[in-house]
Amino acid sequence: MEFLVQLVLNGIVIGSIYALVGLGFVIIYKSSSILNFAQGEFLLLGAYLCLAIFNTAHVPFAAAFVLALAFSVVLGIGMERLLLRPMIGEPVISVIMLTLGLSSVLKAVVQGIWGTDTRPYPELFPTTPIQIGPLPVSQGYLYSVASVCILLVLFSLFFKYTRAGIAMRATAFSQQVALSMGISVKHIFALAWSIAAVVSTVGGVLLGGVRGGVDGSLAFFGLKVIPVVILGGLDSVLGAIVGGLVMGILENLSGGYLDPLVGGGVKEVAPFVALVAILTFKPYGLFGKVKIERV
Amino acid sequence: MRCGDFRETYAEDMAIFETAFSRRLLAVFLVVLATVPLYATSYWLDVMNRTLIAIVAATGLNILTGFTGQISLGNAAFLAVGAYSTAFLGGRLHLPFLLVMPLAGLLTALVGMVFGVPSLRLKGLYLAVATLAAHFVVEFTVTHWDAVTGGVNGISVPPPRLGALELDNDRRIFWLALPLTVFMLFFAKNLFRTKVGKAFIAIRDQDISAEVMGVNVFKHKLLAFGVSSFYVGVAGSLLAYQAKIISPENFPITVAIDQLGMIIIGGLGSILGSIFGAVFITMLPEVLRLATAAIAGQSPALADLFAPLKVGLFGLAIVLFLLFEPDGMAARWHSIRNYWKLYPFSY
Amino acid sequence: MKTARSTGMALAALAAFAAAEARAQEIKVGGIFDLTGITSDVGKPFAQGVRDAVQWTNENGGINGKKINLNGSDYGYKKPEAVALYKRLVEDEKVVMIQGWGTGDTEALKETVTKDRMPFFSASFSAHLTDPAKTPYNYFVGPTYSDALRAWMRWVKADWKDKTRNPRVAFFYGDNPYGKSPIEAGRQFGKEIGVDVVAEEVLPGIVQDATSQLLDMKQKGADYAFTQVTTPNFTAVLRDARKLGLTTRFGTNLWGIGELLIAVAKEFSEGVVGAVPNPPFGENVPGMAKLVAFHQKNHPTDAHDTNYVRGWSYVMVWSEALKRADKAGKLNGEGIRAALESMKDFDTGGLSPPVTYTPADHRPTTLVPLYEVKGGKLVRLQTDEEPRKPEWLGL
Repeated sequence: MEFLVQLVLNGIVIGSIYALVGLGFVIIYKSSSILNFAQGEFLLLGAYLCLAIFNTAHVPFAAAFVLALAFSVVLGIGMERLLLRPMIGEPVISVIMLTLGLSSVLKAVVQGIWGTDTRPYPELFPTTPIQIGPLPVSQGYLYSVASVCILLVLFSLFFKYTRAGIAMRATAFSQQVALSMGISVKHIFALAWSIAAVVSTVGGVLLGGVRGGVDGSLAFFGLKVIPVVILGGLDSVLGAIVGGLVMGILENLSGGYLDPLVGGGVKEVAPFVALVAILTFKPYGLFGKVKIERV
Repeated sequence: MRCGDFRETYAEDMAIFETAFSRRLLAVFLVVLATVPLYATSYWLDVMNRTLIAIVAATGLNILTGFTGQISLGNAAFLAVGAYSTAFLGGRLHLPFLLVMPLAGLLTALVGMVFGVPSLRLKGLYLAVATLAAHFVVEFTVTHWDAVTGGVNGISVPPPRLGALELDNDRRIFWLALPLTVFMLFFAKNLFRTKVGKAFIAIRDQDISAEVMGVNVFKHKLLAFGVSSFYVGVAGSLLAYQAKIISPENFPITVAIDQLGMIIIGGLGSILGSIFGAVFITMLPEVLRLATAAIAGQSPALADLFAPLKVGLFGLAIVLFLLFEPDGMAARWHSIRNYWKLYPFSY
Repeated sequence: MKTARSTGMALAALAAFAAAEARAQEIKVGGIFDLTGITSDVGKPFAQGVRDAVQWTNENGGINGKKINLNGSDYGYKKPEAVALYKRLVEDEKVVMIQGWGTGDTEALKETVTKDRMPFFSASFSAHLTDPAKTPYNYFVGPTYSDALRAWMRWVKADWKDKTRNPRVAFFYGDNPYGKSPIEAGRQFGKEIGVDVVAEEVLPGIVQDATSQLLDMKQKGADYAFTQVTTPNFTAVLRDARKLGLTTRFGTNLWGIGELLIAVAKEFSEGVVGAVPNPPFGENVPGMAKLVAFHQKNHPTDAHDTNYVRGWSYVMVWSEALKRADKAGKLNGEGIRAALESMKDFDTGGLSPPVTYTPADHRPTTLVPLYEVKGGKLVRLQTDEEPRKPEWLGL
């Protein structure tokens, strides 16, 4: 019984990180209907940038963090300006491919500048774990759960009540109608991508702090989180959170119970199998908006 | 070269080669290509074999994604199924080669159709992710089904045997692969002159209207998955024979992404595009290798950058093509050809 | 005109002759390194060690006056790339010997290597490569992974103080040929000396979170755990174990422990015991002097570790074999093999245990130096000598 509880708790903790990364996907999708396959690389770039600023400029980590956030805002705007604007109106497969190409380019840039070595991260959180029930949890994970909750509340309010948020939803629904209503679609895209880049940087730094170091494998988080956002529904913030938690728990349960039976590897494949199963009943994810097609 | 468009019958309109000149030109090109193994080094033969395999696989993917509009990230998985089927049927069951390759293709087609079932309900991004799931499921199966696939250690593939002749080096494999590739390309080109092929295109353009017009959308979607997977399975079979030792590492997700890149750069919905894209993407790392080797004398630091450059250039090529030539190299080729067709009267 | 032309042709002929002579004075060795893949954290220092040692050898007399031409490339720890690189090195570059790297690709290539009679040194210490009846052309410099595991298990048995029961161990390994290499040997040996193997945990290629595996191990009550992974993944396991408050003592092989582990895992590496056949950089052994001198001259600002020393030790061994083969006039596959199999207790100046190859046994050594991480430093515990049992050949 204790084993089960520990696995579930660990799943919630890991799932909160997935949810954080998933938020980045959802924000971009919610405003521009693009699934950004380069999100994992945003994470990677954010983590490395922060570390690089910290190491070379010798400023306190908090300052390096804020600077990295500023850089990522610029990066987001730059991406949008250079790459996404010409792709308005192109078929979805072209945009998917563009983000895949972008992910390769970003990965190469990171590898070219910083190499493939594991770079140690400074200790961001006190190392003594906190006991939650039967499971000791490292404080870093608790910080990530906390930040996910804060961001969830922030973004839900943002999309529901602020002008910019509503404008984003309108743009996602129909760009042409939004334009005719006087919404600057270009500005909305830039805003969406900057927010997503910022969220990714936060996620990347958190992950770096929790794992104690960064290396190229951070980018794989992007691929891992895609089933999370699909499960939750690509355009639902709540879906990203719920999807993240569900996937985290599912991963840990299958890892704890099925891995020893099969000899490993189930932990990686279980989320995808569950995803396909759920998609057969809910083709737009748990909380996603159902698209009604008209000819 | 003729100047202008002169088609007077339906047969002429549907012809693959408009003029006898282009037919003869292609024949000459193929003959020249067939003589390459006589003077190429084994390294370049390896590159050419891999290119031919990529062409077949990209054509398969194009049938599914370019012509039928079903985005699929499962190509690496289907390659794996084709390759491992070949290894198992040829290596463990010792079936003759002429039986193994078509069987491997059929097996892959079946698996492809199974993974095509979600296409009934899912579209666009959701279907892409479902095929991504298919990739991981196949990867897991291959890594853990030790009895059939040899697990992580991989499995060796006995060379194909035609009577007394064993095709155990790249040169002989090339002489097998070339006519096979040409045949499959022609078959694909012809497919889209038939009712089935046109149904595929109709589904891509507007599947609801297609259904209304009487096209059985689900059946044709499954068929598209099946035909496409057959092609990819045959490519996988060739890959197994060429690589001689296969393991799960031969089929990472980057292979599927590369092939998607091939058809996008080459041109969606175009057989010629598959050829261009496959050649481009396969040759890119080789050209890069030659370039860095040439520069390595002056600046060894650049040579260290070879690995990230390879990845980065691939991504950059995709991004640039999508921004500036979204219809792909085939479209550019056609526009250049049309310009010369009407020269000097083009307007 | 005619004089100019004939002078030109004479010069060209002379140049070509000189070039051919220079090439004839060269010995081509191929290199397959991991500089960017998942084992690159340990692969890069090893490759640098090999390159530096080759440069040092060329500067100090070469192979009986001939220079070594090391044609090395990165393969990213991907088997297909290794196979393609091997083809290119053997068929186009015509190398006489190859310095390889990883278990997966070396084991995949072993039949081809045997058929081609290409001496292949790997940084894989898999016991599956030690039986000349199966793999006559595969070599490495150091104890096998299986012997290292056995040495560690002997240490566990001695360290365990409770006489009422056997110590319980868990194995952590990656789902790949490198990870699985010593596991069967470990299982059998455990039965032999009375160490219970209670859990086997499989880790993915890149470990993000090992919690579920560690919880399973905790449930099964392991007192000690051995990991057959490389340093970055081992670090992730150690962190997660500390986070869970586990008291299990961890051990690892030569790719898991080293200066790199201390740098990356910091305080989490305290108490780790592992096999370190090549001394840490700068340790006081006779052969270290030339490494330190080379380092001072060529890259005084870099840090080096035991993996770097390992690269040097390899070149010491195979350049000696090349010298012997060259002196015998047989600089080809069989000649190099004969030269290697004539090496008995060959001393690399302490950079590795002494090396012996025989036509019946390619295990270079059964000495396993065990070190412990104490106070942030590598401290030598003991040097274990495993018996050279014939039934353990190839296991």
